[in-house]
Amino acid sequence: MRSWPVIAVMFLALGGLSAVAGYEMAPPRAAQWREIAWPFPRDGWPASRAFRCGAAECGTEVEVYLRPKFGFCNCDSGVGDDDEVDRVSDVDMISPRFVPRKTGDVVDVADMRGRIRAYDIEMPGGKRTAIGIAASHRCDLMAVAAQGGGDAAQVQRATLKFLESREMKTWMTAAMEGR
Amino acid sequence: MGGRVTAVCCTFLLVLLADGASAQQKIGDPPEASNMRLVGTSDLQARSAYQPTIHHQGDKWIAYIGHHGGTDDIPDPVNPMTDKAEPNGTSIVDVTDPAHPKYLRHIPGQEGKYESGGAQMVRICDGKDLPKGDRNAVYMLRTFGSEAHEIWNVADPANPVLVTRIGGLKDTHKNFWECETGIAFLVSGAPDWRTRRMTQIYDLSDPAQPKKIRDFGLPGQEPGATGAVPTELHGPISTGPKGNRVYFGYGTDKGGFLQIVDRDKLLNGPKEPTPDNLKFPEIARMPLSAMNGAHTVFPMPDMPIAEFAHDKDGKSRDIVMIVDEAIQNECGEARQMVWFADVTTEARPMLISSYTVPEASGSFCERGGRFGSHSSNESMAPVYYKKLAFIAFFNAGVRALDIRDPYHPREVGYFIPAITAATDKRCVTIDGKDRCKVAIQTNNVETDERGYIYAVDRANTGLHVLELTGAARAVAGLP
Repeated sequence: MRSWPVIAVMFLALGGLSAVAGYEMAPPRAAQWREIAWPFPRDGWPASRAFRCGAAECGTEVEVYLRPKFGFCNCDSGVGDDDEVDRVSDVDMISPRFVPRKTGDVVDVADMRGRIRAYDIEMPGGKRTAIGIAASHRCDLMAVAAQGGGDAAQVQRATLKFLESREMKTWMTAAMEGR
Repeated sequence: MGGRVTAVCCTFLLVLLADGASAQQKIGDPPEASNMRLVGTSDLQARSAYQPTIHHQGDKWIAYIGHHGGTDDIPDPVNPMTDKAEPNGTSIVDVTDPAHPKYLRHIPGQEGKYESGGAQMVRICDGKDLPKGDRNAVYMLRTFGSEAHEIWNVADPANPVLVTRIGGLKDTHKNFWECETGIAFLVSGAPDWRTRRMTQIYDLSDPAQPKKIRDFGLPGQEPGATGAVPTELHGPISTGPKGNRVYFGYGTDKGGFLQIVDRDKLLNGPKEPTPDNLKFPEIARMPLSAMNGAHTVFPMPDMPIAEFAHDKDGKSRDIVMIVDEAIQNECGEARQMVWFADVTTEARPMLISSYTVPEASGSFCERGGRFGSHSSNESMAPVYYKKLAFIAFFNAGVRALDIRDPYHPREVGYFIPAITAATDKRCVTIDGKDRCKVAIQTNNVETDERGYIYAVDRANTGLHVLELTGAARAVAGLP
């Protein structure tokens, strides 16, 4: 009989952990963004999370793709330059033909320092805008790629606002810890 | 009933914990071995070790060992020979008596920790072999962290002298140097290229007067390119003017591929780094899975295959052994392993077999640190070439493979060194906190013409000199 309190405590602990995990994996509450299926074929890193925001809510339709890349960053110097953003931010998943619009900028994403850069990309339906972000924590990287039909500033603004949401910051922090 | 449920749960938990704990190495545990034996050790001043190169120098055998940078805890270990803290660089060890290696000299490398500092790579050429070298010199080509390549005269290995330096780079890595021609394929990060690692080809036939031949890489990596950037180079191996091929391994643990290049076209073709010119010397590419990289690509041309001996065609095959590098601790990625490619029909290279250490044979995912392959020996000395290959497998130590039939490689021995007080921890993040374990991390391996095997440890455990015993020794035809 004395084991029942132990079992009850275990259930409570499991319930608590599940609640935390559920919170971390939950889609963002901001109504304008909805999670979509990962739209790319499998490559070296596992598929992760993709989101879409409609033109009515974001001013232009924007899609954002995020995934951690473990062990893919210089452990000491982090994301060093724009070439590194070109290489690692997953913009090439959207289209291998992309041209940077200008020099990138430093950016902070979920308390990680990195760089952001805007691109023109060639798609079957015509030219679009893409945003690449690479932010690092120790030797690991959070790669973010976004695409939209509007001007670069609009797509970048919508992307960064989305990444600043509490839900996404919580998820990125957890994902970088392998959770 | 409740008591029995609790007892079963607790027993299950204890079994799990005990199993995990038993997998971990403890100081004082003996090494684990099959058909391999420890001959001697050197602690290498507890420096994280990368590439060993063993050179027969007069009547001596000298091991030159490159090092990664220092650790967070000890960025610059003290060199007991100078009593000074020195950034990790190159260790020079006399292994003439392999049972009693004698540490001769440490040449400091670039300040920095882990992959950011040190002097990882070493190659050696005798001056008498180089077309324009000083006949009395022995030249050591090494990387200097991420910023330069250096050549030292190590004719007196205890007193090396710097000869020249090729600097201004953003990264370096696993070079290859042809001693008979002096042509060097330097893995560099040229500042204006879009990748950390590509190839700078130099004529180092006179090491005091380096002459640049060209920059080489994949279309998309060159200066001014746009769009997707192909994965970075890890290292090349050339078969020289006679073989006329250079095998390049790209990728480390992801998106890797083997590139086969015509050496003559590479050296003498158009050199301006345009997409067409970069493609000109390429014969073929063979992609691996996106989950695997190509760290070491080791060519073994014209291997007779016993199974095919009575076939009218294809009795011998050109084989390339491809070794991936595991980079994540505790199996935090897809398995990195060894692959064999038949490149006899060069335009259509094909993977024919693979090898990995069975994880369950040592619960290696639970031991701590990396588990998976990293590199092979690169010596082409007859004692082992095309017969046995030695693979550094991190926490699974060194594995000896019988590769006489590369369609069916077979493990014939292994040696997992014991850890020591110097062995550094390896950590993973669990719930935001570091959880660390201590395990051997056999990083690289090389052999000498006598048949000794030299394994070095990434986690600061030093150098282990090994020899084969039993059935493995018989494969090599050693007495």
